[in-house]
Amino acid sequence: MSKPQLLLLGDIDHAHKEWKALGEIADIVEPAARSREDFIKECKDGKYDNVKVIYRTFQSAAITGLVDEELISHLPKNLKFIAHNGAGYDQIDVHACTARDIRVSNVPTAVDDATADVNMFLILGALRGFNTSMVALRNNHWRGSPPPPLGHDPQGKVLGILGMGGIGRNLMKKAEAFGMKPQYHNRTKLSEELSGGAKYVSFEELLKTSDVLSLNLPLNKQTRHIISTKEFELMKPGVVIVNTARGAVMDEAALVTALDKGQVASVGLDVFEEEPKIHPGLVANQKVMLLPHMGTWTVETQTKMEVWCIDNCRSALEKGKLMSPVGEQKDM
Amino acid sequence: MSLLNMILKPRILFFNPVRHAHSKFQELSAIAQTENLSSNSRAEFFKDLNGKYKDINAIYSTSSSYAVTGKFDLELIERLPSSLKFICHNGAGYDAIDIDACTARGITVTNAPDPVTNATADLTMFLLLGALRKLNPSLNILRRGEFKKGVDFGHDPQGKTLGIIGMGRIGRAVKRRAEPFGLKIIYHNRNPLSPAEAEGVPYVGFGELLSQSDIISLHLPLNGNTRHLIRAKEIEKMKDGVVIVNTARGAIIDEAAMAHALESGKIAAVGLDVYENEPQINKSLMENEYALLTPHLGTHTTETLASMESLAMENARRGCFGEPLLTVVAEQK
Repeated sequence: MSKPQLLLLGDIDHAHKEWKALGEIADIVEPAARSREDFIKECKDGKYDNVKVIYRTFQSAAITGLVDEELISHLPKNLKFIAHNGAGYDQIDVHACTARDIRVSNVPTAVDDATADVNMFLILGALRGFNTSMVALRNNHWRGSPPPPLGHDPQGKVLGILGMGGIGRNLMKKAEAFGMKPQYHNRTKLSEELSGGAKYVSFEELLKTSDVLSLNLPLNKQTRHIISTKEFELMKPGVVIVNTARGAVMDEAALVTALDKGQVASVGLDVFEEEPKIHPGLVANQKVMLLPHMGTWTVETQTKMEVWCIDNCRSALEKGKLMSPVGEQKDM
Repeated sequence: MSLLNMILKPRILFFNPVRHAHSKFQELSAIAQTENLSSNSRAEFFKDLNGKYKDINAIYSTSSSYAVTGKFDLELIERLPSSLKFICHNGAGYDAIDIDACTARGITVTNAPDPVTNATADLTMFLLLGALRKLNPSLNILRRGEFKKGVDFGHDPQGKTLGIIGMGRIGRAVKRRAEPFGLKIIYHNRNPLSPAEAEGVPYVGFGELLSQSDIISLHLPLNGNTRHLIRAKEIEKMKDGVVIVNTARGAIIDEAAMAHALESGKIAAVGLDVYENEPQINKSLMENEYALLTPHLGTHTTETLASMESLAMENARRGCFGEPLLTVVAEQK
């Protein structure tokens, strides 16, 4: 009996042993295509007609583009599962997948620590205003001339967490060790146990009363540009904003304006609306701390994520169901 | 105000103007004669000590006070007037003040240990995370317009061993911050703390700490015993790929040896806020992207600087009015 086919979209960087083991229960195929157009052609030519499971990475969108309705319409009829290697799965139109009876999984939890760690690094970097001086030092000007404005301590500052999922809750515990006072807004209020006693506030109150605002929510139709001009105007003058979620939850152009006006004192960003493109107004701003989507970029976390995604593939192949289906498909 | 009152007001000489704790300064200025140093050089200061400063009672100093007069060494201390009884330093580190010379002249020195604790521990964590996660190269690559190109994978802190050298206030503050990141902590100190004081962190010998730690963070003062505590020999004992963080004093580490070990890859990354010869930095370190470097910003926040200024002024006030001082340096307690 021939093995079922699995399509790999992207690279395996760490979990080579586990990937090899998966290769014993499935035939792995990879695209030769290096563009969306070519990939769709490969689909149309029947190259993937026997594919049952897709393992895809965030970076594979550089070749296939988004897994939107158009792309999904070209995917083979036998395809039943897409195992996505990442916590955020906004690149995939889940609704369109459901309509085609394709089940989607993501990688929750494994990303929590690493993302919250980068989140904390950015909070400190932005609040303390380190970037300007770090650049001055590297240019042989020590702290800079004139010296940059002083930073601020996190002790006693109100940290507003927008999106109290695994990452938000993980961040809260770390931020408390720095003396920050957490409060959160979420679609739904969490139990005391889960929220660790953090105050639940309305979206508007979160904006109005937070000294530091951390964005930890998924990107979808409801949350796109949830932070824009109107929201900046509600915030405390001199607010610090950190985003390790998805760039598009914040209107990047409006952010640049708010920074220039001084409404927002500084930001720490790990994600951008049109990665890898960044608004030039941000790149030119020395007062902000910018990382190129490093949230889970460690040997340990990347390995854990790959293994989790491989396990989802194995579960699909051996048991006909995914380990961690995305929220929208839990009742499918 | 009567002439008598003016004559009897103690004189406090501020080596740097107060920039944050303004209301405290105003309060102090109402009961003492406060003035900013006007001397433009060490020689001029020596002259002024025989002239306009011959009856000063207290000096308020900061870490940048030595830029004009040079360090408060034996030569300078010996020239201070007999009316000068207090040097109130607004920083935690006072290695630039010759304490023995002060004691010999009956001058009490106070520093400001507590206000610096949180800000220094916060910066320590920033440098620790940045170095361990290898974030510095990615900061640069992004600004060069190459987003994530060629960026190396860093490491997670969860399950790694953090060795704290110097378990004073700052060391313990770092321990409290490090714990929620899943770091296992060990410490070495001149003398072991009681288990309660050490908050459950195990004490190890210096050699053990060097060989067991994935990350080493320095939180001890600079003095005769700690200068170049870490040299090539000590680095050799460390784990391959160790991460070193220093927010204490640059001279505790042999900077050239550290730069060399970073270049060879023995040290995977460093996070530094202090340097042997600030503001000069070892050239090889400057050129190494795995060195996350900040220019001595350990306490550079409005809140902390105000707190440091306040404490130094309060010590000066107490000294001048015969009240018990809050934070006399350890050597003089």
